[in-house]
Amino acid sequence: MATKGVTLNTNARKIRFARRFISILLKMRKTRSPCSSSSIEDVRKRSQRIKIAAYSSMAHAVGPRRAWSRAVLFKLRSRARHQSMMKRRSFGLQKKRVVVVKNNNDIIPSGQLSQADRLRQLVPGGKAMDMCSLLEETADYISCLATQVKVMQTIADHFSK
Amino acid sequence: MNRALPEMLHCLNGPATSTDMTVLERQRARMKWQPQEQQGYFGGSDQFAGLFLEPGQVGSFQGLLGGESVLGEVLTRSVKPDPGLENGWPELLNMGFTEFDMNCAISRTSSCPPTVAPPPPEAKGKVSPPAEKVSSAVGRESFKKRKADKLQNTKVVAEDDSKDKRSKVCAEEGESKITEQTSNKDNNRETSADTSKENSKASEAQKPDYIHVRARRGQATDSHSLAERVRREKISERMKYLQDLVPGCNKITGKAGMLDEIINYVQSLQRQVEFLSMKLAAVNPRLDFNIEDLFAKEMFPACSTGFPTIGMSSEMTNPAYLQFNPAQQVVACCGLDMGMNNTADMGLRRTISTPASIPETYLDSSCFTQLQPSSTWDADVQNLFNLEFHQGRSISFPSQPFTGSIEASNLKMEL
Repeated sequence: MATKGVTLNTNARKIRFARRFISILLKMRKTRSPCSSSSIEDVRKRSQRIKIAAYSSMAHAVGPRRAWSRAVLFKLRSRARHQSMMKRRSFGLQKKRVVVVKNNNDIIPSGQLSQADRLRQLVPGGKAMDMCSLLEETADYISCLATQVKVMQTIADHFSK
Repeated sequence: MNRALPEMLHCLNGPATSTDMTVLERQRARMKWQPQEQQGYFGGSDQFAGLFLEPGQVGSFQGLLGGESVLGEVLTRSVKPDPGLENGWPELLNMGFTEFDMNCAISRTSSCPPTVAPPPPEAKGKVSPPAEKVSSAVGRESFKKRKADKLQNTKVVAEDDSKDKRSKVCAEEGESKITEQTSNKDNNRETSADTSKENSKASEAQKPDYIHVRARRGQATDSHSLAERVRREKISERMKYLQDLVPGCNKITGKAGMLDEIINYVQSLQRQVEFLSMKLAAVNPRLDFNIEDLFAKEMFPACSTGFPTIGMSSEMTNPAYLQFNPAQQVVACCGLDMGMNNTADMGLRRTISTPASIPETYLDSSCFTQLQPSSTWDADVQNLFNLEFHQGRSISFPSQPFTGSIEASNLKMEL
């Protein structure tokens, strides 16, 4: 793994992520009413949306090359699809649409989850990976998270100045 | 196909017996062999069979060459996975595989049925001298074992010890070892040193070394152990890479400790993202949003991440956010606490410490801060362009000041 290649790759990713993220923030700022109440609930909702925006723009910046980014994009798309379907359907039907997530992972192991399982829960798409590819995806995920944090920190600092 | 074999002999004869050359040669031979694998090699095998059965002749070969001839044999026999084929040269196959499974596509061919009966001792006797030579050559090579199939396990020893012993070892062998690229040098040293020991210990528990192992028939446990060894190697390689990524993991050596550190680090990064998104949600209502400043800053994160604490404090004192202060302070304090309470190498501190590692951006940040108060589009954009050039971006814009903020922002969006 050539270090120069890695840094070039991370720079390109950083730029792509930053661009996408900032455009989303701008959109949010425009759609947001100027005299909003800014209650804690609103802040929480907005922060949730910003978090999702951050992860989605990071996944888009990385592209479908990585398993974890594919998993994130898949989750986003299925969530978007689910939400649009919820909107279309009436409330009566929504009950049937509720997805029951069975936590087989928790039921079967009696004691604590092993480290590998904990890592699988952290890394998106990790549940279906063997240890080897899990470690590889973790490495890439960590580098992406680090760049994400740096960019977001930069933006937040800029805002606060 | 026949021409391929003499070709191989040729290239085998060419280089010296240095391990590097043998590796290259083997790889080249492998590449040559691969497309030809599907063809039958029976014609060629006859030549090799003759060579093979004459120990004197074999002795004259380099170990590599002997190995290749064995390979030839093996290939000829093993291309077809019929059990019937095994009858002819089961021992040869066994011996041949030891050498070649690692670098070949022969690993495909090595999926001979595990039900082959153990070869007769005389065949082994014939086979062992060339096998020894082969194994010596092989042992010196640095291969990573191919994981494709491990039906047969033999331990190849690189010394001319008692052939009977050797043959017994080979016959009863249930071990599987893999030569590892990383431990190649060790292998070279130790195979020559330990071959005698290995001969005697052959039937004992496996030595964690070297010689390239070839799966011997039938023993499922051994094939598993072979596969496991490869898997473990891959995992350790990935762990080493992760060790470089996660700060502060240099002292931790165990896999469990490393995994703990990795998990903690990922959790902390995710918490930081959440905290920052909360911060951005709170800060977002600010109307003056200088996009180009933002882009310039994110291109030089070091200059702005040098003042995260300052940023937070200014945010708290801003009168526009007085109503948020309780919540914000709590959030900020929690975030800071989380950041600080974690191990010293958390990402937060890392961002703070990045300026130390990128001194050249200080200049940029200083000229940046100079231009900030002016808040003129021209100056900012020009500065941005200068900074871009400084960083060696491929974006080539004329350094003319843009008069409209919208134009500049649109331009940036197009980037």
